[in-house]
Amino acid sequence: MDIKPILSSLRRSPTGAILVALQIALALAIVVNSLFIIVQRMEQISRDPGIDVANTFFVGFQASSERFQGEVTMREDLQILRSLPGVQAATVVNAVPLSGGGSATSVYTEQNEKGRRGDMNYFQVDEQGLETFGAKLVEGRNFDATIVTMPPKNSSTSPSGILITRDVARDLFPDGSALGKTVYTGTNQPVTILGIIDHMHGSWPGWDKVGNVALFPVITDETYARYMVRARPGQRDAMMKLAEEALGKVDNGRVILRVRSLEYVAASTYAKDRAMALYLTVVVALLLGISALGIFGLAAFNVSTRTKQIGTRRAVGARRTDILQYFLAENWLITTVGVVLGCVLALVLGYWLSTAFELPRLKLYYLVFGVVGLWLVSLAAAFRPARRASMVSPAIATRTV
Amino acid sequence: MFAYDLRLALDSMKRHPGLSALMVLAIALGIAVCTVTFTIYHAMATNPIPDKSSQLYAVTLDTWSAERPYDDDKPDLPPQLLTYRDATYLYGAKAAPRSVVMYKSGALLLPERNGVKPFNAQLRVTSHEFFPMFDVPFQYGQGWDAAADAGPQPVVVLNHETNAKVFGGENSVGRTLKLGKIEYRVVGVLQPWAPSPKFFDLNNGSFEDPEDAYIPYGWGKALEMPVYGNTNCWKPESGDTYQDFLNSECIWLQFWAELPTIADRDRYQAFIDNYARSQKAAGRMPRKLNNVLYDVGQWLDRNDVVQKDNRVLIGIALLFLGVCLVNVVGLLLAKFLNAAPLTGLRRALGASRRDIIRQHMTEVLLIGLTGGVLGILLAVGGLAGIRAIYGSDFTRGSYERLTEIDPVVVLVTLALSLLAGAIAGLYPSWRIGRTAPAVYLKTQ
Repeated sequence: MDIKPILSSLRRSPTGAILVALQIALALAIVVNSLFIIVQRMEQISRDPGIDVANTFFVGFQASSERFQGEVTMREDLQILRSLPGVQAATVVNAVPLSGGGSATSVYTEQNEKGRRGDMNYFQVDEQGLETFGAKLVEGRNFDATIVTMPPKNSSTSPSGILITRDVARDLFPDGSALGKTVYTGTNQPVTILGIIDHMHGSWPGWDKVGNVALFPVITDETYARYMVRARPGQRDAMMKLAEEALGKVDNGRVILRVRSLEYVAASTYAKDRAMALYLTVVVALLLGISALGIFGLAAFNVSTRTKQIGTRRAVGARRTDILQYFLAENWLITTVGVVLGCVLALVLGYWLSTAFELPRLKLYYLVFGVVGLWLVSLAAAFRPARRASMVSPAIATRTV
Repeated sequence: MFAYDLRLALDSMKRHPGLSALMVLAIALGIAVCTVTFTIYHAMATNPIPDKSSQLYAVTLDTWSAERPYDDDKPDLPPQLLTYRDATYLYGAKAAPRSVVMYKSGALLLPERNGVKPFNAQLRVTSHEFFPMFDVPFQYGQGWDAAADAGPQPVVVLNHETNAKVFGGENSVGRTLKLGKIEYRVVGVLQPWAPSPKFFDLNNGSFEDPEDAYIPYGWGKALEMPVYGNTNCWKPESGDTYQDFLNSECIWLQFWAELPTIADRDRYQAFIDNYARSQKAAGRMPRKLNNVLYDVGQWLDRNDVVQKDNRVLIGIALLFLGVCLVNVVGLLLAKFLNAAPLTGLRRALGASRRDIIRQHMTEVLLIGLTGGVLGILLAVGGLAGIRAIYGSDFTRGSYERLTEIDPVVVLVTLALSLLAGAIAGLYPSWRIGRTAPAVYLKTQ
């Protein structure tokens, strides 16, 4: 295959080819970077939260009269919830995982904020907290009802023993087991690590330490309290209705404000990431579509205006495959120039996105996807016009105009 | 003459219907994607209080720990919230013509109307300047005065929606309602009011609706009302009472000052710096002196109200428009150059170069306007789709406002498309115009 005639023809009228190459280059830059962002967001959304999201819901309530007696009333309500037929476990919590709202604190391996520091997003739960979340304990034991306490309002007293996730354990004791060790709060209160949780996400999925979670054996202050309930598999919706009914029947000085599934909470937390991924997917699809159509349109147009030359070539001995090859090779050449330029543009765009918006740096292998993808799209778009060119009859050459 | 050009343009479009449709589609998609993206961006980036945005200042003091900055990502900036003791001092000093101290809280609202379920009302616990400072519009009654803050007196201002829910939208001034344990008397009802972004308190989401009701600041301490926004602490301090919390280095209060002139602002800056120096002398505020006054625009920037995602999308949308325009230019150019013999014939028959340019421009205009109209239709459809998917209650606010298409964006993208088309049309006009008409006659 001789490439010379293609080059000389391109040199004579380069404008169209340059525009196609430019279009491919821009498209590649956008597609590669969009794809990168889409994949990242999808990975973020599909991470395992370590919680039984599908079967868990929470009940928001608030004290409404003097009949509400803090811990006593909350334990009464828990009793009601736990006695429902499809409920596996229930607890009082201070915050809902994955919701964006919660509390965090730090502990240290030595007193006076010395030694290694462990940041943790803590949840105040009772002895059923672990089972309600559906988190798995890998070392130690869950706390029992006897150490669950309710400190007075505004108290800064810490619990004597807590459960932490492996992530926190690794921050505190990178070289050995954290089980049974004592750590210290900022106010030098000793805390024993009773158990290690395999993995669990806390309140803030956007936090880079989202897996740094601790469970405290504490009945939380009523101001922030809500009930967290885990239904048996498949019974969540029925239990949500039943829970609202059952709690509504008892008037112990609180009103039920809302009953909501954890699935809903997670969906709303990730709604923005999902929107971004969807939006970019649509943009990429439109972009590939419009690029393909543009290449197709221009190629078809060129073929139709060159009908006479094609006929002449055929008349002087060119085979159909020669014509087909000629047009495909021309397209390949233009596409390749576009793709090479596009790689440079993609890297520039990726660099800009990572510095201006603190997004992760573009991974280079995404370029491969983009290059192969655009090559295929471009080839597919040019194929039909090229085939039509190869069908031109040599007799055309003998006709005038 | 225009009718003739139009007929030529239509003829030319009809000769290559597929190509013409493709150009219209490319322009339409470019305009639609840009319009949708900019509409979302504008919904998030509008100035919530244009008349006063350069007179209202969020006041910040760096009271954080010597060991580490408040925000590792922005280590040079002070925290956005104040401690109780600092806010109390600044408010009491009255160094600004007006200032307001406040935070978000909540309490159970027990309506007296039958059929309305009790609900957890979101409350703003605020000093009385809130209403005049932020130009809050009243439908009935008015706010309260300094005495009500200090008392505190059991008075409440309801927003429009709460008044509709609890009192059926009547003039409820003088009526009472129970919030938590206290019976409050309604002194004012607001008109519908929801500045977006909710610039005066961005803690619970930039596009959250304002609170259901407003109560005097003094109630915060008197009732030990919970903080619904963020409370951040750095100093290990033991404490078991609410008073310990108030005395702590924990930050949780919003503080704004109204400073009408630059001189006022400079004076206020000097005042807070002096205060911080006195605190440093007393052993507090271990970090270097860093107290910043932010006007509304700066405040929205500092808090990243327009999410990075939206800026990224703007960049991508503009590049997308670029692809569409390159596409259109390529197709137009091919088409005009292909029609050169025909155009040359017109020249030979006496058409001037200006006639040719006008003919090309008419076709560009026709394609551009058709693309523009289609683009607007696509954008309207796209925005409706986005609202349908994301307008549910969990993204309350931010997507609901996406009803208004920004005409500026449509016009600018359309102008860009026409400009690109014009370049694509001028070049062949110029080339054909330069060639002697006889050449085209010969090739025929």
